[in-house]
Amino acid sequence: MSQDPPTTSGSRIRQVEAISNGSVIDHIPTAVTLKVAAMLAGSGDQLFIGANLRSSRMGRKGVVKIAGREISAHAASCLALLAPGATVSIIHDYQVLRKLPVEVPAEFTDVARCANPNCVTNHERWSSRLAVVGREPLRVRCCYCERSFLGTDLALM
Amino acid sequence: MDFTGRDIISIADFQRSEILHILARAAEVEATGRGKLLAGTVMATLFFEPSTRTRLSFEAAMLHQDGRVIGFSDVASTSTRKGESLADTIRMVEQYADVIVIRHPRDGAARLAAEVSRVPVINGGDGANQHPTQTFLDLYTIAKLQPALATGERALDIAFAGDLRYGRTVHSLVHALCHFRVNLLLVAPRGLELPEQYLEEARQAGVAVRTVASLQEAAAQSDILYMTRLQEERFPDPLEFDHVKASYRMTAAMLAGARPSMRILHPLPRVNEIATDVDATPHAQYFAQAGNGIPVRQALLALVLGRQP
Repeated sequence: MSQDPPTTSGSRIRQVEAISNGSVIDHIPTAVTLKVAAMLAGSGDQLFIGANLRSSRMGRKGVVKIAGREISAHAASCLALLAPGATVSIIHDYQVLRKLPVEVPAEFTDVARCANPNCVTNHERWSSRLAVVGREPLRVRCCYCERSFLGTDLALM
Repeated sequence: MDFTGRDIISIADFQRSEILHILARAAEVEATGRGKLLAGTVMATLFFEPSTRTRLSFEAAMLHQDGRVIGFSDVASTSTRKGESLADTIRMVEQYADVIVIRHPRDGAARLAAEVSRVPVINGGDGANQHPTQTFLDLYTIAKLQPALATGERALDIAFAGDLRYGRTVHSLVHALCHFRVNLLLVAPRGLELPEQYLEEARQAGVAVRTVASLQEAAAQSDILYMTRLQEERFPDPLEFDHVKASYRMTAAMLAGARPSMRILHPLPRVNEIATDVDATPHAQYFAQAGNGIPVRQALLALVLGRQP
């Protein structure tokens, strides 16, 4: 059985490679870590991914680091849908320059496709609009077909 | 209460006071009879999938009030087959009509149409999602047969029987009834029970819900028995369907223990679930229910077109 590296404060060992500049997305639920990474990988940036890491707050968590760039506004919206409890830190010269809140909007527009295959938005050239109807876990309701889904069940656009 | 220019897309868009206003207008229209309430207006019926009863009801509603009708009921004859988007079809039709009624196989199509259109859009059924004018006519029928629905003087016992899992009319009516003082009784074959989200909605609205074992029990314990059709395609095993179909059939003899004022409704078409010997009993109200579609749709058309009944 593999052993987790010690993470006690004071003798902290990084579980994921440090980056000199860029964005660190922490406290990602383990189940969606790779989905978040796949979403961010589309940009072509260099990514460092940690999955199933120990977390005192969450038990297990994921971390994704983007080297050399701040997270885009679209990626932040996607993050709010997949991992609304995540935290984002902007890193400059190995230091945390600032922390960004992951803000869950009242409605996600053109962030994810409705999961109902018969929804009109999957057949016409039209915007996807998903209204937030629950926060923990994040649930959204399609403004067109009126079906509800977990945010983590949706395919990003 | 002004509904001029408003779209009728989903029963969820309506508050209790608005529902009562629409039902009161429908009663006024019905009392007045045929007239010129909709004279000089043109309704476009865009039926992207066939629905004889809904289309005829909307068209009759217009014609009985001196309104005019254009439209199609066969998508093969439209530009949709040439690849035209729904939004473009709506932008074209709104040039010709004062109100659009749309029926479409895709869930959410009516909402999309309403976002595009400058004239009011009425949803005549969008896929498995909503059919709000059916719900308004169901409520109108219940209120007419059991006035306690609108007055709230006592809790009505309303039973639903049949395919409660997939039945669009059942879901919308349950949602709407949560605005009123009712108790719900449910009888459904195994696997076709009412989905949890509607049970939860009823619980949150303070509506008591209980399951009953048979159609007889439902008939004996209810003021309204709302029956729906069982569809063979919902059953993975054809033998199971045959078995359920045989046990799920209301006959006149089964109504012996029913409350005298109990009334049976059905959105139609019925197949085997109500024997024809029920039709002659005072309990049968499903054909009158279909007829109520006329004043209800006339009232809705008049309201969104700014015509005062």
